[in-house]
Amino acid sequence: MRLLIVEDNVELAELVAKGLLAAGYSADIVNNAGEAQGALTTINYAALILDLGLPDRDGLSILRNIRHRKDPLPVLVLTARDGVDDRVSGLRSGADDYLVKPFALEELVARLEAILRRPGQLLGSSLRLANLAYDTESHQVFIDGEPRVFSARETSVLEILLRRQGRVVPKKNVEDHIFGLAGDVASNAVEVYVFRLRKQLAEHGAKIQIHTVRGVGYLISEDK
Amino acid sequence: MIRFKSLTSRIVFLHIVAVAMTAILMPLILFWLLNSEISDLHHTAMRQQADELAGELQAAPDGTLTLALPRSLKDQYSEAYGRYAYDVVDAAGRVLFSSRADRAPIFPPEVSSSTPVFHDATRKDSIISGASVRKEVNGQTVWIRVAEDLAHRDVIIDDIVANFFRHVGWITIPILLLLLATDIMIFRRAVVPLLRASEEAENIGPARTDIRLPVGRIPREILPLVVAVNQAFDRLEEGFRVQRQFTADAAHELRTPLAILRTRIETLGDRAATEVLHRDIEGMSRIVGQLLEIAELDTLVVDPSETADLQAVCSEVVESIAPLALAGQKEIALGGVDGPVIVNGNAEMIRRAIRNLAENAIRYTRRGTTVEIAVEQQGCVRVTDQGPGIPEGERELVFQRFWRGDRQRADGAGLGLSIVRGVVEDHGGTITVESRPTGGTQFTMCLVLATSAFSGRNKATGSRSPNHLQPTSS
Repeated sequence: MRLLIVEDNVELAELVAKGLLAAGYSADIVNNAGEAQGALTTINYAALILDLGLPDRDGLSILRNIRHRKDPLPVLVLTARDGVDDRVSGLRSGADDYLVKPFALEELVARLEAILRRPGQLLGSSLRLANLAYDTESHQVFIDGEPRVFSARETSVLEILLRRQGRVVPKKNVEDHIFGLAGDVASNAVEVYVFRLRKQLAEHGAKIQIHTVRGVGYLISEDK
Repeated sequence: MIRFKSLTSRIVFLHIVAVAMTAILMPLILFWLLNSEISDLHHTAMRQQADELAGELQAAPDGTLTLALPRSLKDQYSEAYGRYAYDVVDAAGRVLFSSRADRAPIFPPEVSSSTPVFHDATRKDSIISGASVRKEVNGQTVWIRVAEDLAHRDVIIDDIVANFFRHVGWITIPILLLLLATDIMIFRRAVVPLLRASEEAENIGPARTDIRLPVGRIPREILPLVVAVNQAFDRLEEGFRVQRQFTADAAHELRTPLAILRTRIETLGDRAATEVLHRDIEGMSRIVGQLLEIAELDTLVVDPSETADLQAVCSEVVESIAPLALAGQKEIALGGVDGPVIVNGNAEMIRRAIRNLAENAIRYTRRGTTVEIAVEQQGCVRVTDQGPGIPEGERELVFQRFWRGDRQRADGAGLGLSIVRGVVEDHGGTITVESRPTGGTQFTMCLVLATSAFSGRNKATGSRSPNHLQPTSS
C-alpha cells in the first residue's frame, strides 16, 4: 500500500516516511503542491498525508481539487494552524481527519489506519486492541486468539469504540450506530449494553477498559 | 486666552463676545444717528423761520428798513414765551431789530456768506442754537438770525431721545440673543456629519480595521483631516495584517521543528526514555499553542452577531480532553443542562476558554477524583476540581499572565487562566473563583445569553466534532 506525503519540510517528511515504513507503509514524498498534483495524477495512492503550509500554493487547494473530482482518496491533513482561522473550517469540509503539529507518530499511524478502515477503504478488516481482535466483516471477537460470543448489540458497541480507540465516542454516536434511525431509544439503553460488555470483557480476560465520560460518551483503551 | 476643548463652546464664547460688543455699540450708533437727525430737522426749521422773517422785512422810500411782524409771529418770539429769539444785523454788526428787549446780539457778527449759517451759543444757563440767513434789501446787506433755546425744545423730540434706550435700545438684546441661539443651532447641525464620523470611528478596533470614516457629508474644511485619518487607518490595517500573518507564520515555524523533534525521538526506539522526552515536548507545544492563542486574542474582537451553543462547546471540550484526564487516572464529567444554551460569542474562543479551565482543573484535581463541568441555563459554566484549592489572597492573581501557584511545577507557563480571562473580557462575561467547603476549587464563567432573534442561527458552530469531518453543509 502506497501513501503520498506532501510536506514542504524535507526533514519532517522523511522522518514521517521512516515512521510509516516501520508501521508497514511505504510512502512517496513531494515538497510542493505542483509536484503533488503530478504525483496524484500518475499514481493511485491509498491515502494522502497533506501539510497545509506549502511554498507554492495552499494545501487546501489540492484537497479541493481532489474533492471536486469526487475522488474518495482518504486525506489526513497536517496543520500548524489550529484555531479561529477559517482555514480550519475549510479543512473540516474536505479532509477525513486532521492532526495539529507536533503530533505523535503513533497517533498519525492510528488515525491513518482508522481512515483506511472506513467502508470502501483498503485496509484489512481486523481491529486490534491489547489482547482483543475484532473482524469487521465476520463481526467476530477474539480474545487471546479465542473466539468469544457477544450479542449483536454489544458487538456493535464494541466495534464503534474500537474504531475510535483512545478517543471519546459520544453517546449519541453509539446510539446512532446501534439503533440507526429506528425510532425511540430508551435513555439508558446504551448504558445497559456498555455495562454488559464491560462485564463480559472482564470475564473473558480482555485487557481492555471502557471508560465512561459522564455526560459525553465512552472511551475504550488498553488496561495498563 | 481661554482654551476650550469643545468647538461648540469656543464658538459660543466668541459669539457672546461679539453679541455683547454689538449690544453696546449698536444703541450708541443709533443714538448718534438719531441726534444728528434731530439736529438736521432743527436747522431746517430755523432756516425756514429766518426766511419767513426775511419776507416781513420792508424798505421804506427813504431807505430805512422796517420789520412789521404779524401777531402770531410776535407771540412766537415774545420773551415771555422764551423759546425763540431773532435779530437782524447789518454788515457792520449793528443790531437793527431784535426780539430781545436789551437788543443784545444773539450770535457774533456775521462774516460774508451767501448760504445760511448755523450757530450755537450759550446765554446765561441755556444753550441756544439757530440759523442765519443773508438778505439784500434795497442795496443793503442784512442778516436775519433765528435761534431756539434748547432747554425749551419740543417735548416730543425730547421724549424720543430720552426713551430711546429704554424702548428701542433694549429690544436689540433679545434680538441678538435670538441670533446667538440660531447660530448655535446652525452650528450643531453643521457638525452632525462629524459626530456620525466619530460613531464610525468608535467601531474601529484591531479586528475591524476595514472600517473607514464616511467622507460623503463631511464639510469641505474638515475633509482633509478625515482623509488623512482614513489614510492613517490604511497604514494601521496593514500593520495589523502583518501582525496576524506573523502569528500564523510563527505557529508554523514553531510547530514544524517541534514535530520534527518529536518524530525523531519516536524513531529512536527506547520507549522509557522517549516517554519522558514526549512529555517535555507536549509541555512545550502547549506553551507555544497558548502563546499563539494569546496573540490571537489580542487581535480578535468578537462579532456581536455571532452565537455559540455553550452546551455543545463544553461537550466537545470534555470529549477532546477526557483521554488526557484518563491518562492521569483522573476523570472528567459533563453535567447540568442537556439541551442547547445559546450565548453571544465566538464558539472557538469560548472552546479555548473552557478547555483551559478544564485542563487547569485536571492538573490540580487529585488522582482518582473527577473534574465536574456543569452548564447552566442562564449561560454559565462551572468547572469544579477536587484539588488543594486556591488561597484567598491568590484568587485574583491566578488570572495574570505567567502566574503559577506552585513555582516548583514545570508543567505550565501560567498562561491558561489568563487566556480564560481574555476570552471572558472580549465577550462581556464574568469569571469568578471560589473554594468549595468540601475542598477543591470552582471556577464559574458566565456569558451573555443570546437574544432569541439570533439563537439557532449558528447552532452548528459549537457542535463540530473534530473526530467527524463531515461536510458542514449537511
